[in-house]
Amino acid sequence: MTDPTDSTDPTTTTDSSDTSGIDDGSDGQPRDPTLHRPDGGAVLEDDRDADLDRGPFQQWVSDSISHPERVYRAMFYVAAIFFLFTTLFPFYWLLMVALTPEGQLQDIVFTPNGFNPGAFVEVFQVIPFHIYMFNSFVIALASTIVVLVIASLAGYAFGRLEFPGRTPLMLLVLVISFFPPAAFFIPLNDLFNTSFAILRPITGDGTLYNTPFALVTPLSAIFMPLAIFILTTFYSQIPDGLEDAARVEGTTRLGALFRVIIPLSAPGVATAGVLTFIAVYNEFFFSFLMTDGQPENWAPILDGILAYQGQYQVLYNLMAAASILGVIPVAILVVIAQEKIVSGLTAGALKE
Amino acid sequence: MARVQLEHITKRYDDVTAVDDVSMEIEDGEFVTFVGPSGCGKSTTMETVAGLTQPTEGQVYIGDDDVTNLAPKDRGVAMVFQNIALFPHMDVFENISFGLRLRTYDDEEVHRRVEQAADIVQLEGMLDRMPDELSGGQRQRVAIARAIVRNPDVFLMDEPLANLDAKLRVHMRTELQRLHRELGTTIIYVTHDQAEAMTMSNRIAVLNEGRLQQLAPPLTCYNEPANRFVAGFIGSPSMNFAEGKLVEGGLETENFTVDLDAARLPGVTVGDAVTLGIRPEDVHLTQYADSLAASTDQIDARTDVLEPMGDEVFVYLLLAEGAAGSMEEDPATSPNQLLMSVTPDTEIEADQDVNVVLDRSKIHLFDAATGEALVHGITGLEGPESGTAPTEAE
Repeated sequence: MTDPTDSTDPTTTTDSSDTSGIDDGSDGQPRDPTLHRPDGGAVLEDDRDADLDRGPFQQWVSDSISHPERVYRAMFYVAAIFFLFTTLFPFYWLLMVALTPEGQLQDIVFTPNGFNPGAFVEVFQVIPFHIYMFNSFVIALASTIVVLVIASLAGYAFGRLEFPGRTPLMLLVLVISFFPPAAFFIPLNDLFNTSFAILRPITGDGTLYNTPFALVTPLSAIFMPLAIFILTTFYSQIPDGLEDAARVEGTTRLGALFRVIIPLSAPGVATAGVLTFIAVYNEFFFSFLMTDGQPENWAPILDGILAYQGQYQVLYNLMAAASILGVIPVAILVVIAQEKIVSGLTAGALKE
Repeated sequence: MARVQLEHITKRYDDVTAVDDVSMEIEDGEFVTFVGPSGCGKSTTMETVAGLTQPTEGQVYIGDDDVTNLAPKDRGVAMVFQNIALFPHMDVFENISFGLRLRTYDDEEVHRRVEQAADIVQLEGMLDRMPDELSGGQRQRVAIARAIVRNPDVFLMDEPLANLDAKLRVHMRTELQRLHRELGTTIIYVTHDQAEAMTMSNRIAVLNEGRLQQLAPPLTCYNEPANRFVAGFIGSPSMNFAEGKLVEGGLETENFTVDLDAARLPGVTVGDAVTLGIRPEDVHLTQYADSLAASTDQIDARTDVLEPMGDEVFVYLLLAEGAAGSMEEDPATSPNQLLMSVTPDTEIEADQDVNVVLDRSKIHLFDAATGEALVHGITGLEGPESGTAPTEAE
C-alpha cells in the first residue's frame, strides 16, 4: 500500500503540516495517527488518499473512528441531559403552575404569571391535605413493613435452604408479579365490600372497604415478589459459617436471620424497602378505587389532589402545589436510604 | 463439662454417605482430634455433635442426655469455625458477648465474663475494635473467647488454625493446649493436619471415607496403627509399604524377603497376600545397624535423591536394578522405592550403592485384602525353630 509518490503518505512524512487542516472542529491537538494506532497508521494509508477533499462530516466520522471514547462521552452527555430534562422539566413546570395565582394560568411561558407562594399554604386550607398525606404515608409504611417481614422469611427459605421444589416455587412467585393488578380488582373489591362478622370489632361494618387494609393487603401482595427476589439474592450470599456460629451461640434459625443475616444484608433490605415504599406511595389503581376518597376513610394523596377538582372549577395551581408537597416525603426517604445503602455496602465489605 | 457419646452415627446425602456408622465415646475433659483426609466425614461428624447437621441414623449423647434432636443452642456446646465466622457488623465485645446477651445475664455479669474470657486469650484493650481491624491471630482468639465465655460443656473446633500462617499456627497450637489445661473442658478438634492431631490430643480419631479407622492415643496410632490407612496417614513422611506374599518360612516381596514363620501369624496362612509396612526411620544402613536387636537380611539398594531437612535426611532408595525413580510414583506405595531417614552426619550421597536393613521390631504387617493390621513388630517370628514368644498382635 505504501506509495512513494504520495507526499501525504504518513510512512514518509512524519511532519503534521498536512494534517493541520484536518483538525478543524476537533480540540486542536496535533493529530498524529501513529500515536493512536498500534499498527503505526497502516490503516490510515488508504483513506489518506481521500483526505484533501473531505467535508466536515466525513472529517468528524474519521475523528470518531480514531477516538471512539469521545463519541461515547458525547453520547453519555446527550443521554444524561435528555433524562435530566424529561424528569426535571415536569417539576419545573409544576412549580411554575403552583406559583402562578389562580386565574392567570393560561399563558405561562417558563416563568410564573405573578408570584403566589401562598398556594402552598392554601393547599391545606381548602381541604385537609395533610391527612391525605398522613394516610398515604401510613399505607406505604405498613405495606413496606409487611413486605419486608414476609419477604425476609421467604428470602431466607429460597436463599439459604435446600428443599424440593425450590426453583418451581420461586418461579411461581415471580410469575405472580407479572399478573396485571387490574385482573385482581373486581374480585378483591367484591371481597372487601363483603361484611365479615369477625371484622366487625375492627372496622365497624365488617368490611375492609374504606380501611387501610383494603390498600395494604393487595399492594403488599403485588410488590412482594420483587422484594423476595432481591432479598433471596442478598441472603444467599451471607456465608453459612456466620449463621452456624449464631445458631451454636444460642439463636434459633429465625434469630440468626434477624440478628446476623438481615443486618449484614442492609443494602438489600434498604433497596427492597425503598422500592416498595415508593411503589405503594405512587400507586394509582387500588388507591383510587379501594376507598371513597374521604380523608377520614384513609384515602391517599391521590384522592387529595383530585379533591381540588370541583364541579365548577379546577384549582390547577393548588393541584400543582399539592403534587410538589406529596413528593417531599419520598425525596427525603430516598436521600436517607441512599446513605444507609452506602454505609451498608461498606459494612458488608468486611469479610468474616 | 461432659462426656460425649456417638452411637452408630450415619449421615447420608442424596447418594453420598458422608459418615458411616461411627460410634465413639469421648470422656469428660478429654481432648479428642478427628483427623483424616478431605471429605472423610470429620467435619460432618462434628456438625452432628454441634447440632448443625441431623444424622440420618444414630444418637448423640452429651452428658447423659440424648441431644440428637435438640437445636444447637440447647446442647451446651460452643464452636470455633474454620473461617472464624466473627460477625462483621459487631465489635469484639459484641462478638464475644453475643451468646451471653441472648441469655438472661445482667450487664455486670456479661462484662465480667467477657473481660475474663478476653483475658484468657490475651485480648485486653481490643474489645471495641471491629473484626476487620484485627489480625488473623487476633480474630481467631476472639472466636475462641466467644466460645469459652459461655462455659460450654463441650468445645468444638473445626480446623480453627487452618487459615493462619505457619508460625502463628504453631503458636496457637500451644495456646490451645494451655487453654485446655486451664479450662479442663471436653474438646473435640477437627483437622486434616496430623501434626496438630499428634501434638495436642489425648486421643485421635482417624476417619476415612466416613468410617472410624482408629480411636487411640497419638503414639498408639503411630506405633500400632489399626490398619493400613492409619499407618499411611499418620506420620510424615508416610510409611513405606511393600506388597508381598507369605511363603513357607518367610514373606516375599518383589525386591526382598523377610524371614518369617507364617504359621504363627493370626488369621493368615501361607500363600496369602500381605503388605509390609516400615517407617522411614526404621530403615537403617547396614553399617549402622549393630544397635538393632533384630534386623532383617541385608537389602541391596541404590540411593536416588537426598532431601536434607536439617535434623534428618530423607534418602530415596531404588531397590530394583535399573528402576528409574519416577516423579509420578509415590515412594510409599511404589514397590521399587523405599524412603529412609538418616541422621544428617551420615555419609551418604546420591547415586551410591548401599545396603540397608529393616528393624524387625518396627515392621508392620497388614492383611493385603482387608488392610487390617496383623502384627506390629516381628521380632521372634523368625521361624519355627527360634521359639520366642510372639509380640503383641491387634
